Amino acid sequence: MKKPAIILLAALFTASCTVKNKESANTLNWSTPEKIKGLDPARADDLYAATEVGRSYEGLLQYHYLKRPYTLISNLAETLPEISPDGRIYTFKIKKGVLFQDDPCFKETAGKGRELTADDFVYSIKRVADPKNLSGGWWLFDGKIAGLNEWRSDTVKSGAADYSKNVSGLRATDRYTLQIILTRKSPVMIYAFAMPYAHAVPKEAVDHYGKDFQTRAVGTGPFRLEEFDPAQKIIWTRNPTYRTEYYPSEGAPGDVESGLLADAGRSLPFLDKILVTVYTEHQPWWLGFLSGKTDLVQPPKDSFKKVILPDGDVNAELKQKNIRAIKTPMLDVTFDVFNMADPVIGKNKLLRQAISLAFNTREYIDLFFSGQAIAAQGPIPPGLPGYDPAFLNPYRHFNLAAARELLAKAGHPGGRGLGPLDYVIPATSSFRQMSEQMAGFLAAAGITMKVTAHTWPEFQNSIKNRRGQMWGVSAWSADYPDAENFMQMFYSKNTSPGPNDSGYSNPEFDRLYEKAGAEMDPEKRAKIYTKMNAIVAEDCPLLFKVHRITFDLIPPRLKNYKRHHMEPSRVKYLRVMPDVAKKSR
Amino acid sequence: MKALCRPPTIAAFSIIIIFVFMAVLSWSGLLVSGTGETNGGVYTPPDLSDLRLWLGTDFMGRSVLYKVIHGAGAAITVGIVAAASGVIIGFTLGAAAGYYGGLVDHAVVWLYTVISSVPSILLLSRASYAFGKGLWAVCAALCIGSWITVARVVRSECMRHKSMDYVIAAESAGAGHLARIFRHILPNLMHHVIVFFTIEFVSAVKAEVVLSFLGVGIQGQPSWGIMIDDAKTELFRGVWWQLAGAGGAVFLLVLSLNLLGDALRDALDPKIK
Repeated sequence: MKKPAIILLAALFTASCTVKNKESANTLNWSTPEKIKGLDPARADDLYAATEVGRSYEGLLQYHYLKRPYTLISNLAETLPEISPDGRIYTFKIKKGVLFQDDPCFKETAGKGRELTADDFVYSIKRVADPKNLSGGWWLFDGKIAGLNEWRSDTVKSGAADYSKNVSGLRATDRYTLQIILTRKSPVMIYAFAMPYAHAVPKEAVDHYGKDFQTRAVGTGPFRLEEFDPAQKIIWTRNPTYRTEYYPSEGAPGDVESGLLADAGRSLPFLDKILVTVYTEHQPWWLGFLSGKTDLVQPPKDSFKKVILPDGDVNAELKQKNIRAIKTPMLDVTFDVFNMADPVIGKNKLLRQAISLAFNTREYIDLFFSGQAIAAQGPIPPGLPGYDPAFLNPYRHFNLAAARELLAKAGHPGGRGLGPLDYVIPATSSFRQMSEQMAGFLAAAGITMKVTAHTWPEFQNSIKNRRGQMWGVSAWSADYPDAENFMQMFYSKNTSPGPNDSGYSNPEFDRLYEKAGAEMDPEKRAKIYTKMNAIVAEDCPLLFKVHRITFDLIPPRLKNYKRHHMEPSRVKYLRVMPDVAKKSR
Repeated sequence: MKALCRPPTIAAFSIIIIFVFMAVLSWSGLLVSGTGETNGGVYTPPDLSDLRLWLGTDFMGRSVLYKVIHGAGAAITVGIVAAASGVIIGFTLGAAAGYYGGLVDHAVVWLYTVISSVPSILLLSRASYAFGKGLWAVCAALCIGSWITVARVVRSECMRHKSMDYVIAAESAGAGHLARIFRHILPNLMHHVIVFFTIEFVSAVKAEVVLSFLGVGIQGQPSWGIMIDDAKTELFRGVWWQLAGAGGAVFLLVLSLNLLGDALRDALDPKIK
């Protein structure tokens, strides 16, 4: 009896291993550097939550996966919206037959996912406006949709949101038609409909799960939530009721050569499962990548030069394992903020210009970015309309002699009469190291600095309460591919807690900002942005530092990867090669 | 006094003298004028041919040895200030509670019970927010909790001593309360005070390193905690010398202070003799 029993056990073990291997063969091993705070689209106000939300939930529009510059295409809408001649009325036709994922919240259909309708978008946008939901996305619709602010005010007054109450500018005119009336025309409003805040959420799920809704995902997207442990791992599996969607057949120049169009026209998604592991420290993430436990990583800062060679290629050890590096400039800008309310630094343009000239960007990039970043001349990153590669900011090249000269003109020759600048930073190793280098740069010009480090919330408070003369180092990443997103940082009505942290105010800039906000022609708008760029370069409310470049390391089993700044959640296009063993690393 | 002549005690005392000497060099600027200077290339490994490069350089090419010396200045300052203030406050409050009893005793016991019920790291980090940032803020934060152990021991000893014959004799000879406490009882508790000074010194040095490592301690000047914070990512690229320099300095100073404290207790505590 013993022998057959052993054979039977062996057979069962082999079978279970085979099943496991089959499963893991088509599994993407993804990673995230932060705990995921929840999966409610209305609260997806950080990159990592937004990335996870986008696996299950979808919006009316999406960005083309391959085309650059970033191009909007339809997603749950049949086409791009029909826009009225005055630019104020957007009419979306919703795709028919799109189903929400099966979930017990759909009681009327015994757990089967119901069809998506235009009312779901009305409900989802109202959720963002409902103050009870504490949505970080309210800025997207604040004052922009007719009647929505009034609905929000009524909610505040009554203490409870009435979702049945009509909003004049947000209506489902029939089951599949959504009409949105804006308070004024806006060239950038269309991007809102591709952002996670505007993704479709079924009311049944919100009502059924209540407070637990943020740990669930009931969308129309390609993946459904299998397991949610926000501090450890998240597991997504293929949504069996996902609609038919195909891999794009056209892309940007170079995509064909990179093999990114090899799957053109094939049905999506390719993956059966996504295993997202939370790595809060970079070292285990890196070791996880080297041991095949994760399929994508960025090289650690401190060993960057060992991993990425000066020509941008990976070192011989990684090359032998067929790991390649993809270099992508990011749509962002990093900067130090001058406190424009400060009587010393805020009222003395020459002093700000002198500090800007004393900052050695080359050394900064070499030390903290291993030579891989673009020196910023202004707020607009390369790749956005309004970025002028020929523009040289007169105060953003290192010139110590000119800095000293301007310092003298500012009334502080050799730094005399100028106390230590109160330079406030978040309390992390890298920010402290950056501040130590900054102190060295300024000391060379004769300016001394007193560095104060705070925890992140305290740092944010010091900006809001105008404590400190300079705040470093901040970064602004594009929420949508238009320079208006970066110019928000200088509009006087956006003063902190809005994005204008410096408290900068220039009537001419404000006039141009408002003009650009009503200009629908992209070329004319880009010209206005160029003028605005020159104004902030001259006034120096921020010390512009760099536009970052990211390097993604890709193992041979991962196909179709192209970094997407607008929608990092779009893994539906990715494919893993089951025949390429993970242990190759 | 034999305990003080043992080789480990002499070695520990010598090491402490070296650290104090390093601190004096740092305070006076005699040897190390500034740590902002670049003394070599970025992450130059240790090189014994040049004093500045004995412990290599950091991410900005600054001498790690100079940073260790400046760190010693910060650590010794914090140690002396926190331990001295802890001993002075602890003795005063402990003696008052133990000697006078009654309401004074209740008030002191309530105060140290409340303070000691808050976890020490939490108390230190909150206090460092309240007092601001920098070396003196760290000292102030450490003073809050450094007196408690001294106060407890001095309180119980005072309770015992105040009814002893020699104190009653002093009272009969016309000595007032303060004279009895400071002239008669204090000399008999001196061995406790000296031992607690070394213990509080060690705690203060370790607390300063931890606070600086967490980014809420010393700011704008070198500290062993900041150096260890830098070193945690440098190990990725094989740069071990900053961790070795700062970690070694903390280890040696704390070990030496502990050895000296033990030897002092052995030498001065009449119960152990």
